[in-house]
Formats: sequence, C-alpha cells, structure tokens
Amino acid sequence: MGNDHRRPLQREGVLFFGDVIAGLSHELSNVFNIINEIAGLQQDIVGGAQPESAGVANRLTELAGRIKAQVERGETFNQFLHSLAHSVDDANIAFDLGDTLELAGSLAARPARLARVELVVHRPESPVTLVGDPFALLLTIFGSIEVVLDAADSERRVEVNAAPHGDWARLFITSADPLPPGVVDEVAALEIGRLSWGAAHTLDPPPPEPPRRIILDVPAVAPALKATADDKGQEDPDGN
Amino acid sequence: MATDRVLLVDDEKEFVEVLAERMRSRGLDVTCATSGREAISAVEEETFDAVLLDLAMPDLDGLETLRRLHEIQPELQVMILSGRATVKTAVEAIRRGATDIFEKPTDVETLVERIRSARATRIAHEDDVAEEHIEEILRKRGW
Repeated sequence: MGNDHRRPLQREGVLFFGDVIAGLSHELSNVFNIINEIAGLQQDIVGGAQPESAGVANRLTELAGRIKAQVERGETFNQFLHSLAHSVDDANIAFDLGDTLELAGSLAARPARLARVELVVHRPESPVTLVGDPFALLLTIFGSIEVVLDAADSERRVEVNAAPHGDWARLFITSADPLPPGVVDEVAALEIGRLSWGAAHTLDPPPPEPPRRIILDVPAVAPALKATADDKGQEDPDGN
Repeated sequence: MATDRVLLVDDEKEFVEVLAERMRSRGLDVTCATSGREAISAVEEETFDAVLLDLAMPDLDGLETLRRLHEIQPELQVMILSGRATVKTAVEAIRRGATDIFEKPTDVETLVERIRSARATRIAHEDDVAEEHIEEILRKRGW
C-alpha cells in the first residue's frame, strides 16, 4: 500500500483548508461591514452635534474615519485570503493568469515589506487564459518571487511581468541585484511547476553573466490535461 | 411628501439594525428582515419602493428570495447588497431582474439616492399602467 493514501489525503486536505478559510473569510467580511456601519453611524450622530461640542465632535469624526480606513485595509487582506482559499477549488479550470499573478504578488507583499524590497507586479496587458491547476501555479509563482526576494538587497526593487509567448505564457521575475549561484537549485516551487504544468525555468542572462531574473515558461494548457484530451481524441477520432 | 419605503434584508442582525438606523436618519422608512422568508412575508403584507437584498443567507438564499419576491410583485425594485465574495452571484441576480448591485461596504448616501430614484421609477411605472388602463377603458367605451 505504501504511501498511496497520501495523494487523496493531501488533495482532500487542501480542499478542506480552502473551504474552511473561505468560510472564515466570509465571516470576517461580515464583521468588517458591521464595524464600518457603526463607524458611519458615529459620524452621523456627531454630524448632528451641537456647535459647543464641535471640538469633541471633530475628534470623534476623525476617529470614525480612521476606523473605516482600517476596515478597508482589513477587507483588502481578507479578499486575498478569500481568493487564496478558492484557488484550490478546482485543479482543472480555465483562469486568467493576471489574477493568479496579482494574488501571488499580494501574498508576497509582506515578505517583501519585511525584506524592505519594493515588489511590483504587473498584470499582462490583455487577459492570458490558462487551463490547469491555479493553486499549483500560484505556488510556483510565489516560490519564484520568494527566491528573488531573498536574493535582493534591501531598498531595491523586484518586478514581475508576464506576456503570452506562442502557446505559452512567459513570466519574468526580475531583481535589480544579481542572483547568487545555484539560487534556483532544489526550489520546491519550481519542481511543482514542472510536475503540474510542465513549466520550464531559465536564468537570464545565461552564464557566465550573473543572472538577474528567472524566466518561467508555462503552457496555456497543463500537459496532463492536454494528454487526457489527446487520448480521448485518439480513442474517438470522430468525436462520437 | 411621502416617505420612501425600503425593506432591508440581511441575515446579519446587527448590520441590518445599524444600517437601518442610518437610513432612517436620512428620512427613509425602513423595515428590516433577517431572512428570505421574513422578506417574503413583509412584501406580501406591505408595499415597498425598494428592497435591499443580501445574497449569502442561510435557509433561503438571495437568488431564490429574489425569484419569490418577483412572483409576488413582478415590478418590485430589488437591489442587491453583495460582499465581494458574491459578486458573480450578484451579476446572476441582475440577469434575473434585480435592478442594481451595491458592494459592501456601502456608501449610505449612494444607497439612499438610489432608493429615492427607485421610488420615482415605481411611481412612473404606476402612472404608465394607470394611463394604459384609462386608454383601455376609453377605447372599449368608444369615447
């Protein structure tokens, strides 16, 4: 039997995790909405206060505004959590690369801030549709960003770009600083990309120049899914 | 001048109560419901200029509530109050006859403004129906 049970267990585990986080994220949204309305009500009440208490009223209005600003900030984080939770829903789905890039960038914003690196993620100029496992691609992109962030000096910039490249999408994770030798060796995220998407990575510029960016090529359709579709085509060439 | 009547439907009781208080302070007559079934009962008993309807509710969800509200009163102006999580469902609700979508957190001033214009739309519709009815009578009687 070996470790055969691990694969369904891991998949179920990820689905469970996504489901629970999505539910909690929804509850958090409800809390934020209530706090936001209470702060709004406070502003309404203070807005009708007598002129002699104007100083206190102004202070309370300002505080209500600050509560609302923090609610907005919290809701932004919560939205990332929600998107992350739903990224595991379906391992065979058409999705926009731009959404996954944006989510990876949002999740990497904190490690970037802690490393005092400016992380800039650019969406492709037009939508790039991919078919496969969005969660596996998210891990691949996030891991690649992390590698480059780790190599970057503080106060520097890391940029992520992507564009269609024939039947593939090409992603660039670029650092202002040279990446150290062996930087991508044994990076689990890149291995996940290779296994789940057939993604290939290269360092640019090639040796002997010190590399400054990872180029990640991702097929528009994950090979396992493409192979399944091709098999079906061979079994039933008339499509009957 | 008659007051704008609105039915506010959301399963989060405290959210409904606070938002209702804010809307009342702006001159609206607000009835609250914390479930789809309560909303249906309210619409069976009273006339509203608009319904503000949350989508993600237990028991009877927003889309089903919308369908049943329109069965009772086809011209009812139902506006969707949606979290970002339910934006796709909100778009589906528009396809099914909801007139507007508001994403939480909402701006209460915008809400009130839209509810007031919903009332104007309802009155205009009633005028059209009345006009058609009068024309029908005139036509039948040959006047």
